[in-house]
Amino acid sequence: MNADSPTGRDELTQLLIRTGHSDQQAFAELYRRTSSKLFGVCLRMLRTRSAAEEVLQETYLTVWRRAASFDVTRASAITWLVTLARNKAIDRLRQHHEEQLDNPLKLEETADDHPTPAAHTETSQEHQRLQHCLDALEPRQRHAVREAFFTGATYNELAARCEVPLGTMKSWIRRSLLQLRTCLER
Amino acid sequence: MNTPADHRHDDLRHAEYVLGVLDADARAAVEQEIRDDPHAAAAVTEWQRRLIPLADDVGDVAPAPYVWVRIRDALRLDTRARSQSPASLWDNLRLWRWLGIGASVVAAACVVVMLGTPNPASAPSTRRAGYMASSIEQDNGVTGWTATMDLQHARMIVVPATPAAFAQGRAPELWLIPPGSKPISLGVIARDRPTSIALPPALLAHVEADALLAVSVEPAGGSPTGQPTGPVIAKGVIGGA
Repeated sequence: MNADSPTGRDELTQLLIRTGHSDQQAFAELYRRTSSKLFGVCLRMLRTRSAAEEVLQETYLTVWRRAASFDVTRASAITWLVTLARNKAIDRLRQHHEEQLDNPLKLEETADDHPTPAAHTETSQEHQRLQHCLDALEPRQRHAVREAFFTGATYNELAARCEVPLGTMKSWIRRSLLQLRTCLER
Repeated sequence: MNTPADHRHDDLRHAEYVLGVLDADARAAVEQEIRDDPHAAAAVTEWQRRLIPLADDVGDVAPAPYVWVRIRDALRLDTRARSQSPASLWDNLRLWRWLGIGASVVAAACVVVMLGTPNPASAPSTRRAGYMASSIEQDNGVTGWTATMDLQHARMIVVPATPAAFAQGRAPELWLIPPGSKPISLGVIARDRPTSIALPPALLAHVEADALLAVSVEPAGGSPTGQPTGPVIAKGVIGGA
């Protein structure tokens, strides 16, 4: 399945709408098609399988209960699902904030962050536009934005990892976000 | 009255929320705002539309099969609501791989899938191919363990779906109960991680559809009598995978 192809998207939207009507088969199929993507996102942020499994479970429990509130005019199904998973993963990161400070994570570039050209061509148009706009950012700022998105780190954590003052990190990220908005609206 | 500078500042906060850089308090404030103010909600949705496609850069990772079992049980869904296509050996292959049974088992099983038959050279007539499975459910209908049997390789993998609490000195013991027969012990199983059990020919002969798997509470070393001595806490019928 490709969640990014137009048919794949329409099917996911239908599955999510049917899940909102308590259709168990649709929910099972939705899980089958999207759980690997959501688990990848959770695992990247939380770093341990057990934590990512718990968050994935919470995410789909919420999907079942809240699917009826999905508004197809406002977001695509996959954006809605990924947002839900990321929010739960970030909430968990914030809860375990103290432990993280005791055991600081090292800044690392993983292969995941740089898709192979083949993978790239399969991604959505939206992703390609975003990538194009990210490429226009200054390299360290682009790296900070990606690190923030993939790891769910706070400004403080990002500043420590990138070894820059907090104020510098805030201005990098804010400038990047405004630049991205302008670029994407073009 | 809001000035353009305020507006810009607000929009940045919504963007920071979606990106995920805010601390717990600032996140909670934005979430409150989303609930109270439709304009804020719309702005956040707009930033999600802009930024979430970045998730395409993260590689897919298949979660372990028991995550779906937990979700299904927590929501008390019909057990027929499968997250996998029916009758798919691939599901089991993923399970084997995840359990780390070893590349040779996976490779051998792949050959079986590709050829559609067991390898005749290494399959004496007493051997059977294929898989059987059982969802070992507690009295409340919640799956306690799932068992998958690889007949060709004469192994059973028992995966806990819901970690169970046991009193000090007590442990779960697994029993195979052929129709109309007395329970046969398969040994003490782990309550918090998968257990792999070898099935010698005498046991394998009893692994058949309609046989039962049951879990009883026994002393830590297993039942001293060879028959269940404690309460049966979960049971399930064996069926085709």
